[in-house]
Order: sequence, then C-alpha cells, then structure tokens
Amino acid sequence: MSASQSAVRSRAEAVAVSRTFDWMILFTLFFVVLGGYHIHYMLTGGDWDFWADWKDRRLWVTVAPIVSITFPAAVQACLWWRYRLPVGATLCVLGLLLGEWINRYLNFWGWTYFPVNFCFPSNLMPGAILLDTILLLGGSMTLTAVVGGLAWGLVFYPGNWPIIAPLHVPVEYNGMMFTLADLQGYHYVRTGTPEYIRMVEKGTLRTFGKDVAPVSAFFSGFVSIIIYFLWHFFGKWFAKTDFISDDEL
Amino acid sequence: MKLIKDKVAKLSFVALLVTMTAAIFYTPTASAHGEKSQAAFMRMRTIHWFDLNWSKEEVAVNDTMTISGKFHVFAGWPETVDKPEVSFLNIGIPGPVFIRAGSWIGGQLVPRSVSLELGQTYDFKVLLKARRPGEWHVHTMMNVQGGGPVIGPGKWVTITGSMGQFTNPLVTLTGQTIDLETYALDNIYFWHAIWYAIGVAWLLFWAKRPMFIPRHIAVSSGKASSLISAGDKKVGTAFALGTVLILGVTMGTTNEKYPVTTPLQAGLMRGIKWIEMPAPTVDVKVEDATYRVPGRAMQMTLTITNNGDSAVRLGEFNTAAVRFLDPDVLEDESGYPDDLLAEEGLTVSDNSPLAPGETRTVNVTASDAAWEVYRLADLIYDPDSRFAGLLFFFDEDGNRQMVMVDAPLIPSFI
Amino acid sequence: MAATTESVKADAAEAPLLNQRNLYAGLLLYLVFYSFIRWYEGVYGWSAGLDSFAPEFETYWMNMLYIELVLEVVIASALWGWLWKTRDRKVMSITPREELRRHFTHWTWLVMYGWAIYWGASYFTEQDGTWHQTIVRDTDFTPSHIIEFYLSYPIYIITGVSSFLYAKTRLPTYSEGLHLMYLVSVIGPFMILPNVGLNEWGHTFWFMEELFVAPLHYGFVFFGWAALAVMGVVNTEVMAISKLLKKDLA
Repeated sequence: MSASQSAVRSRAEAVAVSRTFDWMILFTLFFVVLGGYHIHYMLTGGDWDFWADWKDRRLWVTVAPIVSITFPAAVQACLWWRYRLPVGATLCVLGLLLGEWINRYLNFWGWTYFPVNFCFPSNLMPGAILLDTILLLGGSMTLTAVVGGLAWGLVFYPGNWPIIAPLHVPVEYNGMMFTLADLQGYHYVRTGTPEYIRMVEKGTLRTFGKDVAPVSAFFSGFVSIIIYFLWHFFGKWFAKTDFISDDEL
Repeated sequence: MKLIKDKVAKLSFVALLVTMTAAIFYTPTASAHGEKSQAAFMRMRTIHWFDLNWSKEEVAVNDTMTISGKFHVFAGWPETVDKPEVSFLNIGIPGPVFIRAGSWIGGQLVPRSVSLELGQTYDFKVLLKARRPGEWHVHTMMNVQGGGPVIGPGKWVTITGSMGQFTNPLVTLTGQTIDLETYALDNIYFWHAIWYAIGVAWLLFWAKRPMFIPRHIAVSSGKASSLISAGDKKVGTAFALGTVLILGVTMGTTNEKYPVTTPLQAGLMRGIKWIEMPAPTVDVKVEDATYRVPGRAMQMTLTITNNGDSAVRLGEFNTAAVRFLDPDVLEDESGYPDDLLAEEGLTVSDNSPLAPGETRTVNVTASDAAWEVYRLADLIYDPDSRFAGLLFFFDEDGNRQMVMVDAPLIPSFI
Repeated sequence: MAATTESVKADAAEAPLLNQRNLYAGLLLYLVFYSFIRWYEGVYGWSAGLDSFAPEFETYWMNMLYIELVLEVVIASALWGWLWKTRDRKVMSITPREELRRHFTHWTWLVMYGWAIYWGASYFTEQDGTWHQTIVRDTDFTPSHIIEFYLSYPIYIITGVSSFLYAKTRLPTYSEGLHLMYLVSVIGPFMILPNVGLNEWGHTFWFMEELFVAPLHYGFVFFGWAALAVMGVVNTEVMAISKLLKKDLA
C-alpha cells in the first residue's frame, strides 16, 4: 500500500461518495437529534405540548420556548462553526415535530382515541427559521443568542395563535363558562391526569390589562437568550473529536 | 425474477399497512381496571363510596348514562396520603371511551378541582356519553393531590354501535354550532403543514448542495467565507422577513376571525355542599378485630349501644367498596357489581333487634372471596395495620343509620 | 490493454463501497418489527393489558417481557462477541479504498442507531404518555413499559454498542484510544435504562399522578442530552473521510 494510493477511482466517484455520506450523515443526525430532543422536550414541557387545555397565555408561553431552545442552540454550534450550515435549529424542530406528529396521530389518536384537535403539538417552526437566518446573516453566536433567542420567545405565541384561537372561543355549559379547550379537557377523560395537575393561569392574575401573553413571551425570550448561550457551549463540547486513552476508561 | 421480487415487496408493504390499520380499528371485547393494586388501607381509609347506581349496563354510542351515589370522606384519613384539600371527581375508565358530559357534587357542577372536608358525606353524579364501542369497567374515582387516584367500585358497561357515528355538538357563546370531536381539525393540520413545508424548504435549500465533507475541507483550510454567497444571504433574508410577515398577517386575520376569545378557565372550587347527616344514635366500640388468613374472613368484636328510640339490627358492613350483607336484614336491589357484593357475607353472633337503651357485645364476621380477589387481605402487610369501614344499622321501618369504624387489625395465620 | 481489462474485471468483482441492500434491509427490518410490535400492543394492550392482576396479563405481557429479556441478552452477547472476535488485528495496513468501504459499513450501523433511537426515545417514549392516561398505573411493568423500557431501549443500546465496536475494531481512525463523544453518545442513552430504577422507585414510593414534566423524570432528560454527542462522531468521521477524499475532491 502506498500513502498516495487513492480511495476512489475518479473525481466523479469522490463526489458521489461524498454525497452519499451527506445523506447518511443527515439521516443519522436527524433521527438521533430527534430522539434526544423529543425525550428532553416531552419531559420538560410535554404536558403543555400534549393537551389543548394546557396551552395557556402564561405558563405554556413561558416554559415551552425556554426548554425548547436548548437543542437548536447546540446543533447550530456544531453545524455552523464546522460546516457553515445555518440549519441547526430547523433540523431540530423538523425532527421534533415529525416525532410528535407521528405519535399524536398513531398513538394518542390511533391507540388511545384522544381527538387530534385536543392533542396536537405546539408550533416551533417560526422561531427555528428566525434562529437559523439570524445566524446566517450575522454569523455571530452572540447576535444569534440575543436577537434570535429573544425572537424565539417572542414569536412562539403568534406562531401558535392561529392554531389555538378557535379553541379559545367561550361556551356556556351547564351554567358555567368554559373555553372549548377547557371543555375538551373535561369531556375527553384522561384517567391519569386530574384537573389540578394542569399548570395554567397560575398567579394572582393581577396584570395591567387582560393581555398577559406578551409579558410572558418577553420573559420567555429573555431566559431563552441565556439558555441559548449555555447550550451553544454545550453544543461545542458535544461536537468535540477528542480521544481518551484506553486506560482512562 | 425482479418482477417477482417487486411484487413480493409491494405485497409485504400492503400487508404491513393492513395490519397497522387493523390494529387501529380493533374493537376490544374484555378488559378490567387496575384498582386491585392500590394498598388496602388507601381504599379502606380514604373515600367510602355507597348507595351507588349505574343507570345502564348497555348503552349505544351517543347515548348517555349516569353514575350516582354518595361518598364519605373518612375522618381517620391516613397520614401517608395528603388531605383532600385539592381533589378532583374523576371517572375510572380506559381513556375517552365515554366523554364526561357532566359531573356534580352536592348539586354543583365540578369540572375543576374541589376542596373536601374530612368526616363529611357528599352526594355526586357523573353523566357519561358513550363514544367507543366495547365492554368497559366503569369506576367511580376521586383524585387527591398528593395522594393519587382513589378508585371506587367498578361495573361492566357495554357500549354498542360505531365510534364513527359519535358526535359532540355544542353552541358557542358566539352563536356558532360546532362538533367538538372534529372542530378546528383542518385548521390545525393546515397551519402545521404550512410551517413544516417552510422548514423543509429551508433545509433542502442547504441540503441540495454538498454538505459535510467539502464544507469541512473549505472551513478547515480557511475558506469558510466562500461557503456563504450573497445569494444565500438574500434567500435567508427572504425567509426571515417572510416568517415575520406571515406571523403578522396571520395574527391579524385570526383576531378578525375570532374576535371573542377567553383565557383557559382554572381555579379551585371551595364551599362544596355536603349532606347534613343526623348524628347516629347507635354507638359502636370495636373491642378487637382479626383477619383470619386461611378463612378469608374478618372477625370483629363490637360493643353496640342503641341510644335511639327504635330497635335496630346490623345489616351491612362496607369497606373498600366491598359490601358484606346479612340477608335477614338487607337485600341489595340496586344491581351492585356481583364481585363486590357478599350477599350472605355478614354473620352476627346475635343479630336480634337491639332495643333502645340496650348494649350488647357481638361477634361479627365478614367473609368472602373478595378479600382475596380484591387484595384487601394484603392489609396485613400494610405499614399501618388498621382497617376502617361503614356499618349500616336498620330499624323496623327500614330507616338507616351509618356508623364509621376505625380500629387496629391483628392478622391470624393459623 | 490486457492489464486494463483485468483491472476492470477486478472492479466488477469487487464488493461495492456501500452495500445498499444491507442498508435498506436493516431499515426495513426495524420498521417491520416495530410495526408488528405496534400491532401487538394495539390489540393486546386493550384486551389483556389493563389489569396487571388478571391471568391474561401474565400470558400476553409478562411472558413477552421474559422472552424479550432473554433474547436481548442472547443477541447482544452474540453480536458484540462476534464483532470483537472477528476484529481486524492489522487495521492500520488496510488500503484507503477498504477503509472507505468500512466507513460506509460503519455509517450503515450509525444509520441503524439513528433509526433505533427514533423508535425508542421518540415513538415509544411519548406513546407511554398516552397509555398512562388510559390505565391506572398498577404495576411497574405496564404494556407500554414492557415495550418502551425493556424492548426499544435495549434494541438501540445493542445497535449503538455494535456500531461503536465496529468502529473500534475495523477502522484505523478509532483503533488507538477511545473516542470520548462516541462513548457519550452510546453510554448516555444506555444510562436511560438503569435510570428506569429511579423512575420506578419514585412512582412506587409516592403514588404520583401522571405528570410528564415531574422532576422525577429529569434523569431521562439528562441522559437524553447525550444524544447530542453524535455530533462529535459526525465530526470525526467527516475529518477521516475528508482525508481519504480530499485530493480527489479538489
């Protein structure tokens, strides 16, 4: 074997090989990240994501962006600095939403019969597009953290409002007022989730006017900035290529 | 050969799809519920359900049935379970096979959590509308924050018909008539599809060109800046601005389309009315109680004093939803679940009428296979070996008095 | 001319760089297997899985648990043993083309790992959430746990460790030392399985409601983060493959 011996027979083959690796890498990255991100998200913000009657103006808006900016920040750190690919956030969110939708349809609906209009996931895509495009245009982690992180929190509610607004129409039922989402929670029996578990509209409800969602979104954006920084560094650490010696194991 | 291979591949795929579909539309025939796992003391010393009635044993899809009755919140509530200050009247069914069309405690609708008082008795009703065909075990159930689900007795109910026919019509406060089963579904699919497509478009814009190896070579040889062109930045700007634009426009159109929306409704309901029970005129003292493991029987020595003005007899001992009756005094006519009913399970050494002012010490035995079947016998392995239950006394006119008992229990293994 | 003909013949006879049949067969194997599992739980979850004290639960679910545990131990030992026993002791002297071929085989393993992780961490884990809404948890071994914890997790563990062993025993890149992120990406998700001990301990001690975001579950979250270490593996692989292709791509 000579050191100059080539692994491929032609430039065309080299290009084809490189392209095949692209797809295999993308597939693996997509599904492994999907798995990790999904398990993280369902166990830190899952209940808000599972049910329409958890999608409130306060805690859902606050919690969901904060816990979901994690993986996008980390994957961006790898794909941007090593490959100048501004797709980290979109890749994560496409994965997460695919995993969630398959589950909500085949299992929440297909196995246990909760209607899909009660158990659809939250939409994280607008924030992901903004996070990736800000990274592309600014080329800076700090800018992406501050502007992108804030945007991630701020656009979460507007990105979901067209989806959930119909379920916030009020209805009178047996002498009490409900939103349709509340009524779904009451009608479609969740044997394991009593009403008091629901973390919605907590607090003294003393606010300046009735619109608390923007305040929640602003706070969420602020925390998302910090989480972005933290997870960007996690991402860099996870992207390392170091070896340890056999006896260090 | 290839043709055959293709055919086999195609057929396998069709078979796969058929199996998945079959699984999804499968109608079950039998199933129970996991109430037996609950520690016996949880069932004996928390919520006592009685006077229960399941209005139907068979119900067609879209028809309704009720479960009604009373529950007593036991005053000797165990220390290991949080007090029922935040509780929710649930229903123990396998998911939404019925929808809960209404639930009331003391005549008050209770869609939210309530605060219950120890030592009080409440009446309740749950209205169910059948949704998914099958044979289901329908339980009463109270969830207690810090305690978990406290499951009451269950009865088999059959739902007939087809789930495809189920509807859940409502009229909103804005005057719109809807079917909550499918309401807004198209809207949800539509927006998720649109945004997913935008995400896929962004990813493909980058994935359509060589991704990892050539880009790594460029970055590591200091040519990273060559990887992002002015055109890329223009496309990026278009995606960013487009996203903001879509968000702005859809916020506006949504608010126009749904001008009236309200926040989710939440909050604890206090001041639930209980039943004003007259103070019992029968006084019961538990002298001792043993559980005989081989005989599947509990024996109690009770000293009963009748302070009332009519003679009484002991007719029923009710614990953890199992009812032990003395057939000479009481026969069940409510259609109570057979497996929880010991029609001749109560034996009293002297159950002749106890005259007013009289005191008598009697041996009472409650025996039935239910002790084992419902795993109440496991009480002897509980960390707090006490039992509790309701005793029902009857006078000649059929008037009933309820007396709680709560005492230590000694197991007998021989 | 004769030499050229010979070389063309040798090329034609040579194994392809990527064995596509293995790749697609592997993907299909997991898909068909898990579709069968989904069918099984769809039917027997409802008819035999609601009451863990019923005799049919023992028949359809506990027996499944015992069988799968035995099979997993057997398959893991056989597969890992075989990978180790057939290791290449002269890994540093393979030709660049053989090395490239092995990178493709390695990536076939990694694709399977991604696929297995999807089924375990995403599909069956979130599915467990909906089953908990349907039953009253009356055992540690609910039908969804028997599939999630004790089938889908071991399968991705077996796949991940096999992938790691393949790289370690057949690729020059990994022959000396241990790749830290590879270890993290395999051992981290593996640790989710022992973490089931914490989960069941918590659920048994305090009869808790089915709150998915309960802090008791954060152990799963922490180990789920380890999935990100796949980025380190991707980077190392890209560096190694770039070295093989660099002059031809230029």
